[in-house]
Amino acid sequence: MSEVAVEAAAARGGVMWSTIRRQPSATIGATVLVVIAVAAILAPWIAPYGVHTQVGPVFGQPSWSHPLGLDDGGIDMVTLLMWGARISLVVGFAATLVSMAIGGSVGVLAGYFGGRTDTVLMRITDYFIVIPDVPLMIVVAAIWGPSLFHIVIVIGILLWTGTARVLRAQVKSVRERVYVKRARALGAGHTRIILRHVLPQVAPLLIANTVLTVAVAIFDETALSFLGLGDPSRTSLGKVIENAFQRAAISSGAWWAIVPPGALVALIILACSLVGGALEDSLNPRLRVAHLSARTFRLRPLVGRGDAL
Amino acid sequence: MRRRWTAGVVAACAAVSVFAAAASGTGAKAGGTFRLGTSSRIDSLNPYVAFNQDAYSTFEYIYPFLVQYDRANRGFAPDFARSWSTSKDGKTWTFKTVAGAKWSDGQPLTAADAAWTINTDVKYKSGGAANAAGLIAHITRADAPDATTLVVHYSAPVGNVLGQFQQLAILPQHIWSKYTAHKGADLKTFANNAPVVGAGPFNLVKFQKDQIALFQRNDSFYGPKPQIDEFGLQMFSNDDALVAALKAHQLDAIESVPATAIKTLRSSGFTISDVPGVDQTDFIVNSNPKKPKHRELLDPRVKTAFDHAIDRAQIVRVVFLGTAKPAASIIPAATGSWYNPAVKPTSFDLAQANRILDGLGFKRGSGGIRVANGQKMSYTVITPTDLASVNRTFQIIQADFRKIGVQLTQRALDSSTAFDAITAPNGKYLNFDLAMWDWVALIDPDFMLSVVTCGQYNGWSDSGFCDKRYDALYSKQQLTPNQAKRRAVVWQMQAYLQAKKPYLWIATEDSVTAYAPSWAGLVNSPQGPFNSLSKVSLTSVHQT
Amino acid sequence: MRGADYVIKRVGFAIVTVFVAVTINFALFRLAPGSAITDLSRVPHATPELRLALKKQFGLDKSKGEQYVIYLGQLARGNLGVSFANEQPVWSNLRTALVNTLPMVFLGTIFSIVIGTLTGVIAAWRRGTPVEAATVTTALGFYSMPTHWLGLMLVIIFAGVLPTGGMTNEFLLNPSFWTHVKDLASHIALPSLTLGLVLYGEYTLIVRSAMLETLGEDYILTARAKGLRPWRIVRQHALRNAMLPIVTLIALSLGYIVAGAILIETVFSWPGIGRAVYEAVLQRDYPMLQGAFLLLTISVVFFNLVADLLYFKLDPRITE
Repeated sequence: MSEVAVEAAAARGGVMWSTIRRQPSATIGATVLVVIAVAAILAPWIAPYGVHTQVGPVFGQPSWSHPLGLDDGGIDMVTLLMWGARISLVVGFAATLVSMAIGGSVGVLAGYFGGRTDTVLMRITDYFIVIPDVPLMIVVAAIWGPSLFHIVIVIGILLWTGTARVLRAQVKSVRERVYVKRARALGAGHTRIILRHVLPQVAPLLIANTVLTVAVAIFDETALSFLGLGDPSRTSLGKVIENAFQRAAISSGAWWAIVPPGALVALIILACSLVGGALEDSLNPRLRVAHLSARTFRLRPLVGRGDAL
Repeated sequence: MRRRWTAGVVAACAAVSVFAAAASGTGAKAGGTFRLGTSSRIDSLNPYVAFNQDAYSTFEYIYPFLVQYDRANRGFAPDFARSWSTSKDGKTWTFKTVAGAKWSDGQPLTAADAAWTINTDVKYKSGGAANAAGLIAHITRADAPDATTLVVHYSAPVGNVLGQFQQLAILPQHIWSKYTAHKGADLKTFANNAPVVGAGPFNLVKFQKDQIALFQRNDSFYGPKPQIDEFGLQMFSNDDALVAALKAHQLDAIESVPATAIKTLRSSGFTISDVPGVDQTDFIVNSNPKKPKHRELLDPRVKTAFDHAIDRAQIVRVVFLGTAKPAASIIPAATGSWYNPAVKPTSFDLAQANRILDGLGFKRGSGGIRVANGQKMSYTVITPTDLASVNRTFQIIQADFRKIGVQLTQRALDSSTAFDAITAPNGKYLNFDLAMWDWVALIDPDFMLSVVTCGQYNGWSDSGFCDKRYDALYSKQQLTPNQAKRRAVVWQMQAYLQAKKPYLWIATEDSVTAYAPSWAGLVNSPQGPFNSLSKVSLTSVHQT
Repeated sequence: MRGADYVIKRVGFAIVTVFVAVTINFALFRLAPGSAITDLSRVPHATPELRLALKKQFGLDKSKGEQYVIYLGQLARGNLGVSFANEQPVWSNLRTALVNTLPMVFLGTIFSIVIGTLTGVIAAWRRGTPVEAATVTTALGFYSMPTHWLGLMLVIIFAGVLPTGGMTNEFLLNPSFWTHVKDLASHIALPSLTLGLVLYGEYTLIVRSAMLETLGEDYILTARAKGLRPWRIVRQHALRNAMLPIVTLIALSLGYIVAGAILIETVFSWPGIGRAVYEAVLQRDYPMLQGAFLLLTISVVFFNLVADLLYFKLDPRITE
């Protein structure tokens, strides 16, 4: 890697951390995410009860031993929240990985090669943008059968367009930089240039984008679960909400089975938005207009597919 | 058969409350609108198109039927036919119908309408009227020699003639005869929108899909007239909204109350009616004798061990909160005398289950999972996503099976895909091992008994069960017009299935209804208060 | 002519996209295991005859290629086909569902646009103050809530006060005009509010960003230096220029709202287009699915086109 590129990448990485440290909202978001993630990762060891263990009556009320009560299977809600966050985060990150892989490749290739490749790839992207994605997710999840793996793939396949667009613009500008041009003039191959020079430049932006995509993926999983298309053998937060809704938790007065899981989903999405947004602000020069922190917000699946303009 | 249909039984029709005899009854107020909420829906108002249970319940109240079920004696009661008789050879049935009846548009309703309906169904049974083909099996033709006589001719003596006619709505010839073009295909294109020309106790005056069906009393009805002026069925897409609407007094009653809401509804002063139902959940073991893999599952001893590992009491407690009973037979107890009481639920006994499997030499291997014929006893269980109770039930069964060294993995599929996976490949039932689903029985046992016959491969069968001796018994009951003799065969078949175990029956769900105390006379049934069994429930409901 | 070329190109592309969508949708549904026949013939009196008759009637006995040609032919004549489930024309089924969905979506969207623009402008103008922090936090909060969960929270809060299911009180017979309006309003309140709150959070953030961007431009700084009154700057200069991204974003989002309303429809028993699609998937009702997806795709493509053209008209720099 050329020294210039290394320096640039290092500088960008530095920006990331300093952004998180400097902006209070980002600090809060990152802290919340870390706390939830740790609880989720350690769930098998620190959860107070078994995630399949019935410890009391159906919709048992909150008590000292069960501060958030029991769900419709008599399972401890605190335990469910920890396990649920675990599954939801796994879905969120896995789906994002899929979408990053697709969106990243499309964006980098389109931006780097330009011309016909760019046109074809962007037309495909355009098509994916106009498909009504929630109905399509329903179709695919219903058809393939609701397993965690399928859900991850479906969400990933439908979420990559935003990443592709942002990266394409970024790669285009990187391509025109002096050191990239010089590397090309020196006869470096495309793969080498992309891996050595372009990717390190756009990687931080990709990471910022990842955090935002995770939020959308978690939202999507929650929505699919709610429509009965979640994996019944994996208790995600969406599944916890759906179980309670299916058994008429509200009518039976069991608010504790339905309020906390949704609030936790909201908290995770909020934290992701704070961190991702702050990162994007400091990394995307187009968005850093003078001293103002203007930025694009991703439309959520209810209205859009996760990429605004 | 799935939740979309709950054809069933009048049988255990306990009156929901003290039935105030007739309109002159004790303080009964005539009139008013009875508002019933449901989480089910009416898919179509055309009997040649409709599949959902609530559509058939609608037909029960707006169309004449020859007979209906009788609440008291579990037999058949007169409806449009006042009396009936059979020829000696059992191949000719004669019905005497009501004189002077009218359709809601003023046209006369006679035996000729009934004859036309039957003949049309026979004529177009492989085309537009295919939906009714099952109801007119073995009929060659029907005649109406006069306005009050209907004669139906059969090619063989049939055991369940009245059970079939109880499901066949008589349609107005002067309306429907316009729709027989294109070899009867046009019968299905007619939307039959409200206001519908009918001749039941109610006229359907307003219908909005997935929202409302509104019925008005038909004062020219030939039978006992309803005491209420109007009846409305409002459709909801979820239970919470349904219960909330009842609590807010936007409804007077709701059917299929979620078990979790019963307690709060009772404490807010609503009356709960809970009667045995005909919807049974099951654990299916692929019983196809030609099954290539995991052939240990064909051994009734293995199935018995599995049966001992199903904790029905726990399932009833957690999944149904007590609104179900442990099930044993393919024929639910609520069908009355068709149920063989000697067939009892298998006991929950893990030790016994382990002894059986040990005795078969299936030793525990790695992770405590048994090995049978060199293969791990680890199976995939196909479950349908639209059966709400299945996930919790599976979890309970899975945990107990682990204790007998059998590993289960759930594979949830939507019902259409699940059925494909069970019948794969190409209706040969070779691939699947285990599945869970439910059946909703009819009062007449013929249908339920048919689903395990060889003839139902790629039709109704979801177990791959095929047994020559059983099939012979099935044909025998089908062609035995003497009901006592037929019952003996039906009992024998239940015992036979209990031994062979294509299904391990889990639980029979109750039919639970809640209604405001200002109403009485509603008759709950295994199908709920709004059912296609008889016209009694909504003609007798009234305000107190 | 710069304008004509651009418009033709965009419209042409929109048409191609719709065609591609039609083809992919056709294939997608038919790749699914299970069929309408297995689903529909699951009634006790079903016979092999019924299955055969249905198969023939729905044209499922023909090859997929033939079915595709027939489908395209139908479409060319503006015929969306007949629903497998209730054997009524797809268009009439869709129209009923849309007529139910649109007012709910419309009200919610208006609510969110008005409130979202207002709070967005305030947040941008009061940048760096607690007012901004409060506005943005609230907006982000609503933006983060799962739609159906927010709906359920409203059900918990308003149970007993407002109806939580259905579109009207179906049992009000011959109500007076005002009773009817009041009844409609009370039923539509919660679903619309749910949609409105979710969208409001998003619109606030968008408007704020757009406003911040314009407020940093030189001419605004000049106007400020000239001592123009703040409200006048916002109204006459900043907002007008910020309208471009706002309007296009809103146009873009409109196409998805209808599709996304399914969650809200499920919570509030609202018999709309989202529920219709969901039911059609479970029943393998191909004609309904194709019709609904065509409609949704067209609406998204249309609003995209509108956004493109708007952008083109409002921003003279675009020449592509």
